[in-house]
Amino acid sequence: MYVPRGTRLRTAAAVAVAAALALSACTVGDGNVTKASGSGSAVTLTFLTFENPNLTSEYWDAAIARASAKVPGVTIKKLVGTNSTAYLQQLYASGQAPDIMTSISPDGFAQKGELAPWSADEMKNFIDPHAGAIKGQTYALSFNVQPIPLVYYNKDDFAKAGITTAPKTYAEFLDDCAKLKAAGIIPLEIGGGGKDTWAAAFGFGAIVSSDMLTKTPDWFSKRAAGTVKFSDPDFVAAAQKAADLSKKGYIDTAGLSRSYSDVEQAFRDKKAAMYPMGSWFSASLDKNKPSFDVGVFGWPSDAGQNVVPVVTGGGLMVNSKAKDVGLAKKWALAFAEDKANLDNSVLADGLIIGIKGYTPPANVGAMYTQTLDIYQKAQQSGQTVPAWMNTAGDGSLPPGFSDQLNAAIVDLITGRKSPQAFAAYLDQRYAAATR
Amino acid sequence: MQGVKNHDRPTAAGLRGPFGSVKRARPPIGASRPVAAKRRREGGTYRFLVFALPGMAVYVGLVLVPMVMAIGTSTTDRNGFRPATHFVGLRNYGDLFSDPAYLLTLRNTLILTAIVTIVPNVLGLAIAQLLDRRGWAFNAMRAVFFVPVVLSSVVVSVIWETIITDDGLLNRVLRGLGVAHPPGWLSDPGIALYSVASIMCWQMLGLCVVIYLAGLQGVPQELMEAAAIDGASPVARFRAVTWPMIAPAVTICTVLLMIGGFKAYDQVKVMTNGGPGIGTTTTLAFDVVVTGIDGAHIGYGAAKATLLLVLIAAVSFAALRLLRRREVEL
Repeated sequence: MYVPRGTRLRTAAAVAVAAALALSACTVGDGNVTKASGSGSAVTLTFLTFENPNLTSEYWDAAIARASAKVPGVTIKKLVGTNSTAYLQQLYASGQAPDIMTSISPDGFAQKGELAPWSADEMKNFIDPHAGAIKGQTYALSFNVQPIPLVYYNKDDFAKAGITTAPKTYAEFLDDCAKLKAAGIIPLEIGGGGKDTWAAAFGFGAIVSSDMLTKTPDWFSKRAAGTVKFSDPDFVAAAQKAADLSKKGYIDTAGLSRSYSDVEQAFRDKKAAMYPMGSWFSASLDKNKPSFDVGVFGWPSDAGQNVVPVVTGGGLMVNSKAKDVGLAKKWALAFAEDKANLDNSVLADGLIIGIKGYTPPANVGAMYTQTLDIYQKAQQSGQTVPAWMNTAGDGSLPPGFSDQLNAAIVDLITGRKSPQAFAAYLDQRYAAATR
Repeated sequence: MQGVKNHDRPTAAGLRGPFGSVKRARPPIGASRPVAAKRRREGGTYRFLVFALPGMAVYVGLVLVPMVMAIGTSTTDRNGFRPATHFVGLRNYGDLFSDPAYLLTLRNTLILTAIVTIVPNVLGLAIAQLLDRRGWAFNAMRAVFFVPVVLSSVVVSVIWETIITDDGLLNRVLRGLGVAHPPGWLSDPGIALYSVASIMCWQMLGLCVVIYLAGLQGVPQELMEAAAIDGASPVARFRAVTWPMIAPAVTICTVLLMIGGFKAYDQVKVMTNGGPGIGTTTTLAFDVVVTGIDGAHIGYGAAKATLLLVLIAAVSFAALRLLRRREVEL
């Protein structure tokens, strides 16, 4: 059948338009656009955020609007995704990398030249400008500090078991666990199954921090350099402690199938007396008070130190290929240093602010105050160590390794792997992750 | 000529049969002049090409090209966090078979696929036999069995996760019945894989029921009546009449279920994330994403993806050949 030339062209054009429309649908999910005030030709920058019960859509919109008001000429397009390394890597690989992003480790991206470094002058207001540095350069604005983990405990359960004060040494901690168990109370709520397996790792993380990092704070830098191994005696001994806690029945192993929010709820439901968790839990406790009084302490070491593992960072990063790197940095700094933004992040997420001269708002809750107090005392007495599972920068864990570590910790807790086999497995996976 | 299948299209050469055989036919009216016929043939081919083009473009762009790229990538050490990429030949494939984690993943996938292929097939056929009757109640039951098939795997997984988690509905019922320590359906490393497989079976069951119902409704009633008159028992009627007649349905169900088993990802991601513990429910498809995306080992992940493709193609081809041969024999 003969098809006239005009019909052919129209048909071909229609097909091309349909294909273009179909392909244009493949893009990252976007959100609101916050326009610059009074600017005729504003630069539009994308900002990757993530939402959770603490950091809601409204929280981000208000924070973005405040920062944008301080930086004329910028229009921010909010993207909502996740704050995971794998997700950001996908965005970079597919040419959809945002101009500004937050709460993601710069590891890997910085070494590849995909992030713009911050200068000393730009970070003059930050208490620890070198936190999370990679080969001397800082890529994430280190505007907050998070102790990960602290041990939150049910004061009523402690009283029922005849415990009057929080433990100072690991031996006291074990005694308290025995008393709680004798009183019919499971001592530790450790859990997080499926996608939330990360939450099950905090107890073991605290043991390693208190036993090893107090002696060798740069142990994980040495592991990266290959001068120490997981199968070395000190790491195996730490693993043995975690395995023993489970063997003695001090851990609520049902938690290993719970989601992160269900584990938190299990603590609120009095399924166990102690809950090792990050400082953000204080905000949750202040917002939604449980039916019992809660106390908090740092994980005790053998030597009697209540160690506080901390990560400083969590801040904004700027894409080195942003549409306007200078303007993006200016906006990111405005976002990170805005007093109202900082106050809101304290109230919403329990962040401890690392900006010079900052004072928390007067209406912070009691648990936040207790958490801040523990951190400040630990800092003054030199009892802070790196929160090795969460730190970024030199000596941090290689990409993809954390998930394998978390899964292996579950095997350690459930007794499927001996401490020696656990350590050997980690060495094997570390080699695979860094090959 | 729109809407006319290619094999029915009259051509100057004759009428093309459904399986490619060409029957001689009278030349169509108006095809006496060779130039006009040629122009018509060219126009028809062009129009078909235009209509096929969007589909072909999508298939080539989104399936074939990425597949070829993945095979190419699998011969490199490409890493999402390393600027330089080097050609490593078949090293990634060699590493796979000496990696105990991969062998565990392969074992999990084979177990899962075996369960997901056998259980819905057997149960689906049994339920289809029960539902192969007339009446609104049977129609309603068919719809009920088919509902899980149209639900997203993620939705199904989230629903089941809330039911079978340690504090979930199932264990609460068991505790209510006096079971002091009910199983950790998702937290016990010895059970979790079977829990995932059971949920996949539940979801795929409806598909098998519908396919077998269609097969059963194609069995001529006269044959069944003749067998009954000859004194064949219900079991003998099923073995001698029904079973051979539904052989194509068995082939379709088996191949679809096998492919579904090998591709299992959503359920694992939502319910167990490959755990509890090290790789106890990790499947080949899940491992591809963990290695290539989360771990940033794109070259190694591509090798795993390529091997999965080869495995699915080989097993599906073998199963199809075997089952088709069986259809002829029956």
